[in-house]
Amino acid sequence: MTQHTFKSAKRRYFRAFWPLMALYVIIVLAGSFGLNQLDPEPKWLQATLAIACAVPVIATLLVMLRYVSETDEYTRLVQLKGFAWGGVITVSGIFIVGFLQLFHVIENFEVFWFGPAFFIAYGLSTFLLGGRDCL
Amino acid sequence: MKNIIRALRAERGWSQAALADQLGVSRQSINAIETGKYDPSLPLAFAIARLFEKSIEEIFDDQTEAQLAAE
Repeated sequence: MTQHTFKSAKRRYFRAFWPLMALYVIIVLAGSFGLNQLDPEPKWLQATLAIACAVPVIATLLVMLRYVSETDEYTRLVQLKGFAWGGVITVSGIFIVGFLQLFHVIENFEVFWFGPAFFIAYGLSTFLLGGRDCL
Repeated sequence: MKNIIRALRAERGWSQAALADQLGVSRQSINAIETGKYDPSLPLAFAIARLFEKSIEEIFDDQTEAQLAAE
């Protein structure tokens, strides 16, 4: 068994998760506000802010992976199944929307929404597989 | 895999959460093991056996329903 218990792993997860979410909200709000003040916006600043917004999300994914490696074996199994189902559902959506675009059935679709879609699919799958405690 | 964890826990008056705390796992893990939805790893099975002061074989029965019916 790992040296971390389920509870200590969960504590470590939330201690990192909430500050990262707060940072994400601050960067997105500050970025949008900052860009509105600049007219025309410099391309390099737009690119920097766009990447900066993604950094807390990427860090959150890494924190989730750390939680999976530190938590107890049953929760790890449920989490990994949740990741797998989340991936299958999201990638299926990407292919469906992709072909709909290629065949000119739908117009442009913002790729961004696949990110939140993955988190929703992963969260729902994990909840259905293991219940509230495994989230 | 069938097991007698629920009975052993009841004998000691422990809740699923109390047993989970002692083993460092989630309450859901205990529930999944008790209901046979999840078979614990060897280290966790040993930890459970040590906690109840029994051997693994006394707690877990690896015979399937089909094997039991055939006997």
